[in-house]
Amino acid sequence: MIPGKYRSVSGRAANNVNCGLHLVIQTSSLPEKNKVEFKLNKDTSSFPGRLLQHDLERNYSSRQGDHINLVSSSLSSFPILQRSSEEKILYSDRLSLERQKLTVCPIINGEDHLRLLNFQHNFITRIQNISNLQKLISLDLYDNQIEEISGLSTLRCLRVLLLGKNRIKKISNLENLKSLDVLDLHGNQITKIENINHLCELRVLNLARNFLSHVDNLNGLDSLTELNLRHNQITFVRDVDNLPCLQHLFLSFNNISSFDSVSCLADSSSLSDITFDGNPIAQESWYKHTVLQNMMQLRQLDMKRITEEERRMASVLAKKEEEKKRESHKQSLLKEKKRLTINNVARQWDLQQQRVANIATNEDRKDSDSPQDPCQIDGSTLSAFPEETGPLDSGLNNALQGLSVIDTYLVEVDGDTLSLYGSGALESLDRNWSVQTAGMITTVSFTFIEFDEIVQVLPKLKIKFPNSLHLKFKETNLVMLQQFNALAQLRRIDQLTIDPQGNPVVNFTLWKYYVLFRLSHFSMQKINGTEVTQNDMIMAERLFGILAHVASSELPQYRLISILGDARKKQFRYLLESKGKKPGIINEENNDSKRLVGENTNRATLNYTTRDFYNEKLEELQRRKLCSIYLDGAHRKAEETTYLHNNTTLRSFKRF
Amino acid sequence: MLSPERLALPDYEYLAQRHVLTYMEDAVCQLLENREDISQYGIARFFTEYFNSVCQGTHILFREFSFVQATPHNRVSFLRAFWRCFRTVGKNGDLLTMKEYHCLLQLLCPDFPLELTQKAARIVLMDDAMDCLMSFSDFLFAFQIQFYYSEFLDSVAAIYEDLLSGKNPNTVIVPTSSSGQHRQRPALGEAGMLEGVEASLFYQCLENLCDRHKYSCPPPALVKEALSNVQRLTFYGFLMALSKHHGINQALGALPDKGDLMHDPAMDEELERLLAQVPGLVNSVTASPEASCLPSRTPPRVGSPWRPLHHHSRKVDGESDGSTEETDESET
Repeated sequence: MIPGKYRSVSGRAANNVNCGLHLVIQTSSLPEKNKVEFKLNKDTSSFPGRLLQHDLERNYSSRQGDHINLVSSSLSSFPILQRSSEEKILYSDRLSLERQKLTVCPIINGEDHLRLLNFQHNFITRIQNISNLQKLISLDLYDNQIEEISGLSTLRCLRVLLLGKNRIKKISNLENLKSLDVLDLHGNQITKIENINHLCELRVLNLARNFLSHVDNLNGLDSLTELNLRHNQITFVRDVDNLPCLQHLFLSFNNISSFDSVSCLADSSSLSDITFDGNPIAQESWYKHTVLQNMMQLRQLDMKRITEEERRMASVLAKKEEEKKRESHKQSLLKEKKRLTINNVARQWDLQQQRVANIATNEDRKDSDSPQDPCQIDGSTLSAFPEETGPLDSGLNNALQGLSVIDTYLVEVDGDTLSLYGSGALESLDRNWSVQTAGMITTVSFTFIEFDEIVQVLPKLKIKFPNSLHLKFKETNLVMLQQFNALAQLRRIDQLTIDPQGNPVVNFTLWKYYVLFRLSHFSMQKINGTEVTQNDMIMAERLFGILAHVASSELPQYRLISILGDARKKQFRYLLESKGKKPGIINEENNDSKRLVGENTNRATLNYTTRDFYNEKLEELQRRKLCSIYLDGAHRKAEETTYLHNNTTLRSFKRF
Repeated sequence: MLSPERLALPDYEYLAQRHVLTYMEDAVCQLLENREDISQYGIARFFTEYFNSVCQGTHILFREFSFVQATPHNRVSFLRAFWRCFRTVGKNGDLLTMKEYHCLLQLLCPDFPLELTQKAARIVLMDDAMDCLMSFSDFLFAFQIQFYYSEFLDSVAAIYEDLLSGKNPNTVIVPTSSSGQHRQRPALGEAGMLEGVEASLFYQCLENLCDRHKYSCPPPALVKEALSNVQRLTFYGFLMALSKHHGINQALGALPDKGDLMHDPAMDEELERLLAQVPGLVNSVTASPEASCLPSRTPPRVGSPWRPLHHHSRKVDGESDGSTEETDESET
């Protein structure tokens, strides 16, 4: 009645039973009605045998039978088994009580030489009353209701113990079963492997369909050849390399997700057959070649032979993986470096902003502290990273990123985007950029740089990166609408992105319209990711059109000169005139002129002068004022004389 | 203009009253700054242009704040320029915050101080949450009062504080018996019980102030009118009353009446023309924009009751001599 899966592959049959584990207890066809047949193997030899089932049934249903006597002992309410003497002689070493609806183990008297005992398919809850059967070699309690392993301590000869499909929660009380060859505990509720380390002759261990979450504590099982752990919840496996004979390991339908959790398998030289199907790891793309690569000794994976081709494939793939890992490690290093740099730049930016704010609020304490900090940062980090000189392009080739890092600023080229972090990065615009690289740049991003500083390098940007169509500003201190005027000098902008972070101007509800208005000659497509619609353009013109008109037609000539510079003033004047004379043909002309001049003329006077420059201008004005006061003093003297003269004349005139 | 009184003043006082020297100084400064270019077409023409622009009120455009606030005329011109340029923003119906109005101010005067805008906003918001939104007309009228009369308002604030704390700057005129509510020296803790100060007393102090500073204060008669129907008032209540008073607005002469604030037919015409030039435009330009919450009003055909204080630039240029190149306004 041992299920076929216990057929020993090696055929090692060290016991006295005829065909090793090829044990079958089978009854031949009985003339009586209640015959029981067990056909589990195809090639089982038939043993004629009879079973006193009929009697037992009668006994169990507490009908007094002819052959069974109830022992009237206070201790036992157990049924007592008796067989007829013919059967005892015929099948002296085996007894089958399969499907007898037993709830307890009956007392078996006079059968102390029994070697095979079968209790399959009953309702037995405790192993009892078999301690006298000290010659027992095989005990089959498959499909019962046993909750605890017990009552086996006298069965020192036991070789096969089948306790599958019971309710056992813990492996215990196997201490004396040192000869155990097969231990079947499948279909129970076992959570932990324990108390089996003394079973040095155990060859087959079945713990399938239990509640194991991990595998360890396997040392001492020096003969174990087959270990079945299917259908558990195993997440990691250990100690398998301590099993010197293990050949077959079944881990199907568990919870293994990485090879690291079963890494001990790589160290087991005896393993030749392993299954992982039904685990998360089997779904991974790297599953097969990782397993093959790590377990060179394997011959069969998931019940399929491993071919040479597969092995070769596996090693190739493994190499690729290694390469990829190295590459991604390098990438992540670079990324980390970049991140640190940006953090540093951000910190400096914050300090700088604080300093400005504190100067405004006149806090002396901060003023004395802050100048030191940036210097410290500059000093320490500049020494760590020597400056890279020379053209940037030498390292680019096919690589995706060119990186030039000094901790106080960062310049990064990534395909079509040039990113600048920190005001020191602006100097990089002076470098020798190859025409090819510079030509590919369509997006320029500025972060942690004062907008006023960016304004000063815009001409350089125009020249060096002629294809830059998309400008992005983040943490650049855009506070006034006027600052957008400075962007008008560029050749063209298709897209503008002003990140709200660090750019207070975005809080102004009409800022987009102002940008569209002032930079209308660019015909921008997108602002902050949103498409610009015709209605937006109309709105912009509607809101600010008059401002432009006032700024162009109502300024006296000398103001125009001082704002625009003489050459442009002439163009400006000409175009204003032509605009006035031919209203009908304006559109085309205007378009042409836009291409020529590059700017909608009536807005040209809306300039932006950076704060410092503006303050310088004012200072100069004051100086000039002093001159003029002097001049005026002289004039007043002249006037006084004239006035007095006029007064006297008038007075004299009035008298008449 | 040609009154005999002007002859009665001594020379420096006359000049000071008309701020002639200020303009002369500024003109010379501008000349010095641009002497290379101006020398091409002559100094006389430059001076003509300069003083023309002073008359037209365009001289303050994009100038520094110190110049913009230098004379009352400059201030009026600035107010008017601001109104003309950003009337469309108001017409669009957007309510803006103080900072946003300040942004607009900075477009015309880059170094305009934030505190002035803040003070103006405080008038509208009655010293309440400063992040509130304000309508264009509310802000503009309050700003007018704050900007044009800033020195006067500073003195008024001082007087108000004195009155609140019970000190009376006018020891001469103290009607203790006539007004029973007058409190001589309230303890500081009681200052909050009665809101503000007593109106008539306040007015008397103001009258004295006006006498002392002849220029740049609102006509006392109009102030009295503004205070006529209140018993007590707070400082910001007073300023609010000033800003809403039509008479004071008209006396200033910078802005139209509140009802006509959005009307400027000449500019609207100009705007329509500009809109027609927006590239790719097919539909009629009078289609109302999506973003406005109020429907934009088409300019009325009726003539605006408000007469510009200065003749429109076109007419002036027609009369001026020599500056033919400037008459691009003939583009109508």
